Amino acid sequence: MQKNSNPKKNSTHLELLKLGKIFFKEKKFFDFYSKHKKSSFEAIKNINLKIEKNTFVSIIGPSGCGKSTLLNLIAGLQAPTSGKIIIDGLAIKGPGPDRGVIFQNYALMPWLTTIQNIEFALNTVFPEKTKPDIKERAINYLRMVGLEKASNKFPKELSGGMKQRVAIARALSINPNMLLMDEPFGALDALTRSYLQEELLSIWRKNKVTVVLITHSIEEALLLSDKIILMSSGPSATISEEISVDLERPRDRQNIEQDPKYLKIKMRLEKHLLRETRAVEEVT
Amino acid sequence: MNKVISKRLTFVVTILSLLIFIIFWQIIAQQGLLVKNFPGSYKTINALIWWVSDPFFDNGPNDLGIGFNLLISLRRVLIGYSLAVLVAIPLGVLMGMSKLAQSSLNPYVQLLKPVSPLAWLPVGLFVFRNSEITGIFVIFITSIWPTLINTAFGVASINPDYLRVSKSLGASKSITIRRVILPAIMPNILAGMRISMGTAWLVIVAAEMLLGTGIGYFIWNEWNNLSLENIFVAIIIIGFTGFILDQFFGFLQDKFDYSI
Repeated sequence: MQKNSNPKKNSTHLELLKLGKIFFKEKKFFDFYSKHKKSSFEAIKNINLKIEKNTFVSIIGPSGCGKSTLLNLIAGLQAPTSGKIIIDGLAIKGPGPDRGVIFQNYALMPWLTTIQNIEFALNTVFPEKTKPDIKERAINYLRMVGLEKASNKFPKELSGGMKQRVAIARALSINPNMLLMDEPFGALDALTRSYLQEELLSIWRKNKVTVVLITHSIEEALLLSDKIILMSSGPSATISEEISVDLERPRDRQNIEQDPKYLKIKMRLEKHLLRETRAVEEVT
Repeated sequence: MNKVISKRLTFVVTILSLLIFIIFWQIIAQQGLLVKNFPGSYKTINALIWWVSDPFFDNGPNDLGIGFNLLISLRRVLIGYSLAVLVAIPLGVLMGMSKLAQSSLNPYVQLLKPVSPLAWLPVGLFVFRNSEITGIFVIFITSIWPTLINTAFGVASINPDYLRVSKSLGASKSITIRRVILPAIMPNILAGMRISMGTAWLVIVAAEMLLGTGIGYFIWNEWNNLSLENIFVAIIIIGFTGFILDQFFGFLQDKFDYSI
């Protein structure tokens, strides 16, 4: 398939080494009198992970397990408390245009039109490019997600699915080689969701990018990923398992559910998630 | 269809209630039901027509056309208010962005905000020795707080997603402030500016009674002339001007309303 033709297939793109993040509680004046010693929260701990170039990896785990924290760390939006994030052999120091980030709530600027939202990203990342260049590029990416006709519309005039397509176009427009997605389809209805999943797959096939997708949907992870990372319940969440999804591509939403391999992985995932969720629910 | 009729109906009712008010006012005044020599609506409307038909005459500071007085007040408000906005927005952004600025400046804001701006009038007179600058100074103090507080609140409560997008693109602080934070908090800034303008217009009348010239001084002067109908004329004109100013900000707020 397409990925076999890629000679770089087995080179590591992203590596996490003993990654940990502790959120320290801000010391307030009256804490002096407080008897409670609980002053910090360890979200994730000792995360070790290797992700290969141009693969599609999903991270799945019970709610509150620090999946989003992990993604924020990889994006460089937060600094880790311990450990290292290595991209293409170099430890990252912060955010960078080599990584495109897509948020659950689309995060489009409501005062900008669709095309202006993309132009904002392009202007920020490529300040040397001329205005017509940037405009042309923005239109090309809007066309890629099928929204060139909505270029002068404001986000409030778009549906949730359209907004997320604009956000995907914005993230890809800066030509990243890694796409970080934090439950991007979580707020969408089932039909829009499956449409956007197909869309994402075809974009991934065309643009050579490594995708890291945070999701809580087992079906979504199975349909899209090469590898699924299972996280344990928080606090101090870590990786409990890595599962390779060696199902043939393109995967068909209807037929895949009859595949015994699919069912086997699905059962394993469900068992794990149930166990971890029980751990979360019974603690509180 | 229904909407058209109800709109026409409200218009008719408004006109009718105004007519009834004017008639009652005249009857009460004529019968001396309130106090003796209270001007009726007939006398007041005549005075209003007289003042409005020739708003710009100048027979010395105690006999100035109402148009001149209004322009003097508007000029003071506009200068003091603009200076206040120019200070309040950057300071508000700073307070919203930096915890240090917030905690070091907030005590002053909280302490000074509830003080009537007129308390600053003697201070202004002592420092500037000039009633014109003192008036502008009082309006400056009046206008600064609502815009400052709203701006700081807007920055502190900005949708973190916008900042994360900006940060993930590697945007500099200056780009983030100019292209993300300022547009994002425009609704807050405008709401603050609207309140600031409202209070400034309230305060200028009181301040001018003590400063000389302007629409506030006009009222004080007419009180010395015991001409209550002219005071009513000023009240109507002040109210109308305040309404126009407020509507202008309402229009701007509609323009910058991002909500879905």
